[in-house]
Amino acid sequence: MKKIFSPLAVLIICLAVLAACSTMNNSFQLPNNHPSPDDLGEQPKVCTNCHDARGDIPFERFVHGPTWGENHRQAAYQGERVCALCHQTSFCNDCHATRVELKPSLRHQTDNVRRMPHRGDYLSRHRIDGRVDPTSCFRCHGNPKAAATCVTCHG
Amino acid sequence: MKVRFCVARGLLLAVLALLALPMNSAAVELRVQSDTLLRIFERDTTSGTDKLVSPGYEYLQVDMGSLSEAGLSFHAYGWGRYDFADNDFYQAADAGELLYGYLEYKRENANLNVRLGRQYIFEGVANESVDGLRLSSDLSENISASIYAGQPVGLDSTSGRSGDSIYGGRVALHKMSLGEVGLSYKNIQNDSDTAEEMAGVDIALYLPKGINFFGNSSYNLDSNGFAEHSYELNIPYESLRFRPFFQMFNYADYFSTGANSVNPFRVLGTGDEEINIYGIDLSWLQSEAWTFVGKFKYYDYDQADGNQYYGLAATWHPGEATDLGGEVGYLNGDLSKNTYLLTRLFATVDQLGDKLWLDFLTGDIVYASYDQDIYGEDYSLFVSLGTGKTFLDGRLRVKLSGDYSQDPYFDDDLRGLLSLTYNYDHGL
Repeated sequence: MKKIFSPLAVLIICLAVLAACSTMNNSFQLPNNHPSPDDLGEQPKVCTNCHDARGDIPFERFVHGPTWGENHRQAAYQGERVCALCHQTSFCNDCHATRVELKPSLRHQTDNVRRMPHRGDYLSRHRIDGRVDPTSCFRCHGNPKAAATCVTCHG
Repeated sequence: MKVRFCVARGLLLAVLALLALPMNSAAVELRVQSDTLLRIFERDTTSGTDKLVSPGYEYLQVDMGSLSEAGLSFHAYGWGRYDFADNDFYQAADAGELLYGYLEYKRENANLNVRLGRQYIFEGVANESVDGLRLSSDLSENISASIYAGQPVGLDSTSGRSGDSIYGGRVALHKMSLGEVGLSYKNIQNDSDTAEEMAGVDIALYLPKGINFFGNSSYNLDSNGFAEHSYELNIPYESLRFRPFFQMFNYADYFSTGANSVNPFRVLGTGDEEINIYGIDLSWLQSEAWTFVGKFKYYDYDQADGNQYYGLAATWHPGEATDLGGEVGYLNGDLSKNTYLLTRLFATVDQLGDKLWLDFLTGDIVYASYDQDIYGEDYSLFVSLGTGKTFLDGRLRVKLSGDYSQDPYFDDDLRGLLSLTYNYDHGL
């Protein structure tokens, strides 16, 4: 069946619309980087100590509570620009990458406070976690390259 | 017209567009971070038992250009490994990957952002590494959009890159004090066959009394079914935070992603199973020092019997220099083989420079008890100790750690890790 739109045509139209709209200057602007602890004189602890919980940016959503490591997915998808104030993509790549050989808890063995996934003997536990909820594995190991570590045993 | 040619032409146009953008006159800033790791452990290999394995890793990150202001910049990050013992433990002694490497242009007007090269796309239904172009911008005060196109990095090892493409985007309507609704789409082709085609909606609503509602659904356009629903409420009450949540995954629609699917997930995608997860997290920020967490998850399946997970954790952080914590988790499986108890204790004592030559000490113990033996063992014990020191006004950090494991896969396994992190910046 003949396609009405080719992906390229759609892309060009979208690019043109975005380029035209991007000449406006009426939206809220975030800085490139969050001030460093040296600039602030202290290590930032909780976003809402300084920022409005629901201002131009709803900073309450980005407070790194004790379960943040397990629950930050959607906040990151909707607020990537806020994440980028403090974290470069390399930080995300510790866990989310197409191919990394060292699991995050091993690469950062002494950063035990971060409660990184797969700490300790996860090789044994992954058999059980995988049976109980394989969707949790799929998010990070769900393409041929990211699954390279699975293929050795799972074929 | 072949999609590959479309994408290539699109990229060429994008390069020309990027070069035509007004350049920022700010001085070039440079930031380099190098992580060098040396591991040492023993393994049985094809050439013998208890053979020494000593891989060295280099993780290198380079950022240059206009880093502290809007403008043009370049970002790259990758890793490489070489096994100095080279005794057949790895398929090849060397390995590596460029995780990202892209040109970025940011303009303050309308939050315009253009990226060209290998990059990660995290938005809506996309969680992908892409060789290509991404453009995002505000369309008005309350509407923003992003689009991307290129080749999926995750498929470059599957029959080459011929006929591989990915494109998609997200449109979001947002009113920061009320919430945000996003619609997203993703299409991945592998060898000109559909590998994945997903559409999604993501929602954030900021309700009265500090209550927030978040969630997302994704629909598999290839198999015509909802792959996922994930929704949660965040409810604050004084120093307590409640987080009830619900998740649904339909295996056929979630895992059945065409040529993109790999084992062991491909097999799951051929079944009719569906999982519904109900749960609640409870966080109690008792004081600046003490935090307590309770977790409960109930896994309900269409076909299998249910499982429950219970968890408790506590951390003590009396100041910048000390962190102590512990947690207990119990997975009560429908079958004995799906049941285990997990306990963990950890400690970090930092800022020891006044008392010791070393800057910090860390310790970690993880113990898991399995209801049914795994390879004849019913427990795992993992112990890790670490220390470190900074040099050159904090630019060089050296960390040394050793860990011991006694578990179903390894008897008395000792491993060591030396890590050197060096930071250099200029003009920042």
